[in-house]
Amino acid sequence: MTVSLECAACADERAAGAAFCESCGRTLATGSPAGAGPQCQACGPAGAVDADGYCGTCGMLAARPRDHAEADSSPVAAAVTDRGLRHHRNEDAMWLAVRGADADAVVCDGVSASYDPDVASAVAAEAAGKVLAAGGDDLAGRIAEAITAAGAAVAELARTDPRRAASNPACTIVAACVRGTEVGYGWVGDSRAYWVPEQGEARQLTEDDSWATHAIALGVDPQSAWNDPKAHAITAWLGADAGPVRPRTDTLRPGEAGILVLCSDGLWNYLTEPAELASTVRAAVREAPDLISAARSLVTFANDAGGADNITVVLVPIHT
Amino acid sequence: MAYTAEAFQNEFLALGATEVNAIVTVTSSGAEGGRRTAGATEIIIVDCSGSMQAEGRMIAARQAAKAAVNCIDDGVRFAIVAGVSTAQQLFPAPGQLAVATPETRAQAVHAIDRLQANGGTAMGAWLKLAHQLFAQRPGDIQHAILLTDGENGEYKGYLESVLQEIGGSFTCDCRGVGTNWTVSELRKIATAMLGTVDIVARPQDLAAAFEQMMTAAMGKTSADVQLKVWTPVNSTIRFVKQVEPQMVDLTGKRIEDGPRAGRYPLGSWGSESRDYHVCVDVTAGAAGDEMLAARVSVVEGDVVHAQSLVRAVWTDDSALSARINRQVAHYTGQAELAEVIQAGIEARKAGDDRTATLKFGRAAQLAHQSGNKATEELLSTVVEIEDAETGTVRLRRRIEAADEMALDTRSTKTVRVGRGQ
Ligand SMILES: [Zn+2]
Ligand SMILES: [Zn+2]
Repeated sequence: MTVSLECAACADERAAGAAFCESCGRTLATGSPAGAGPQCQACGPAGAVDADGYCGTCGMLAARPRDHAEADSSPVAAAVTDRGLRHHRNEDAMWLAVRGADADAVVCDGVSASYDPDVASAVAAEAAGKVLAAGGDDLAGRIAEAITAAGAAVAELARTDPRRAASNPACTIVAACVRGTEVGYGWVGDSRAYWVPEQGEARQLTEDDSWATHAIALGVDPQSAWNDPKAHAITAWLGADAGPVRPRTDTLRPGEAGILVLCSDGLWNYLTEPAELASTVRAAVREAPDLISAARSLVTFANDAGGADNITVVLVPIHT
Repeated sequence: MAYTAEAFQNEFLALGATEVNAIVTVTSSGAEGGRRTAGATEIIIVDCSGSMQAEGRMIAARQAAKAAVNCIDDGVRFAIVAGVSTAQQLFPAPGQLAVATPETRAQAVHAIDRLQANGGTAMGAWLKLAHQLFAQRPGDIQHAILLTDGENGEYKGYLESVLQEIGGSFTCDCRGVGTNWTVSELRKIATAMLGTVDIVARPQDLAAAFEQMMTAAMGKTSADVQLKVWTPVNSTIRFVKQVEPQMVDLTGKRIEDGPRAGRYPLGSWGSESRDYHVCVDVTAGAAGDEMLAARVSVVEGDVVHAQSLVRAVWTDDSALSARINRQVAHYTGQAELAEVIQAGIEARKAGDDRTATLKFGRAAQLAHQSGNKATEELLSTVVEIEDAETGTVRLRRRIEAADEMALDTRSTKTVRVGRGQ
């Protein structure tokens, strides 16, 4: 779920910098679809797109709104999500809300092997985002509450449809809230948060709930662990079959300027080392005219590298 | 009338794959209050050939026809045809249809007592007369029951030419009494007329069979429902089959309807649910491409009652593309079950016991695995099933003709699997 400039639901004026409607609480529309139109992208002028979104001639699906969406709250924060090149839909979802210099951000990645993973991620991002906006001063506690709410919302999906019940919709989550120079964050699964200072060593704040991370912790050689076909299998997720959700949370007071990065594995798969990721993020921010362009260029980087998965990235600069 | 259509499939295809399969379940809650949206006409055709005299068949046929007449709702039009070397209308006056009331039903019952077994068998002529009578009531739910005990006596090719001409214009349920009729002949009629075929081995069971057919017919509330299937350019429909409650291949019944779409007749509907298997070949897409492989709609004239989408999504994730959809797998198995039973019966008739044993063995295995208990039981009248799991069977030395005919006619009956993914 992303946001735009004006609330379509109540048309109320939004507070400066807020990225969701503070009046009715609804998120402000999804990003605009890239390249969608009445004409089929696959067969050109011959094909008109029908009401259900498929070309009336060749049957190909026209672009969906979620294929590429952006949330631009520069200079406070910016986020981009993209279908990538190899998946038929974007099963990642994001939430970004800013108020003054404060920001709430969530990235969720649907588990492809489950049913309706795109719905799971959208529901989770929104549920978490709403709790973040409303919560108290204990940032880690607020994050835990948000992730727990997201887990409950995703678990609820399995109760609404027999097919969902048979193959529980599931997703990962990484959430952060930035209040001044303090950052609260937490996660379940393998979507990540990084701290990229302007100078010096970058840090991966999250530790994947994944087979590879687990194996490495038990002493398996990292290279062979990551080459294992099971490497990316996640060991914790949000969903009806996930058991009790135990989000890991923490807080960060950087003491130096830098950028908080949240992303799905569609980006970090091509930048497995924090140092690699940091230099790519720094280069993107340096070369782009604004924050949203920097986020966009990180998505382009992942697509140029193969775009094997959906890609989502959120950038939140933090000043000292 | 409220219809739903729901597709069950694994939409994920491996790169290069082109075959898309889906099971579409069509369910109708029936007309409000069970009222028909159209009128209804019923015609009962009773074989009055000389052979019907044997084994008390004529007496049983009279009772059955009376039982059926008594099941006809008030206001429904009806007629009774006596099948001899020509078709003779027994009730009401030739060329007329009666409107069911307590009085006309009593008159019809009285007329049925005049049915005598003393003619030939001319199914083509019988069906033609029924067709002419139905033609007075366009738009009605039109249903006939045809009872026979023997083979058609018309010159070769005549019945086929009649079916060619009138096929699909009304529904005809066919019943054979005794064992001197041919399953393939009645199946040909039932298939062309979107009806059912079955054996009633014992004449005393006829009345119950007629009652059941007429009651089912009275439950139909809309006349002519069709499945409209749109497919993309450069695709081919491999088949469209009804797969539940019984196998009926509809592929050849397609009527073109606008660009890239065709209609398949589903006959009359009441409050019921049926499953269809749609198989389409499309042009392969690239990883991440999503294509609409078929748009399947339930239509009645210009009214679209329900719609369901059959999709194709190409992926390089083999964990997704290798998934087997339970519905598709189940009905693929039920189709094979019907095929191997018919092949087994053919082989046995041709004296090829080895092939027959193999085919029946595979059938026993499929019936067992899919939980099709009725078919497994019918099989066990023809073969001794030693191990259903492995399909080990032995041909019985003595097989009752009625048992083999029951297996043949009911080989197309299918069962459902539990729903879910
Ligand atoms: Zn097209
Ligand atoms: Zn991912």
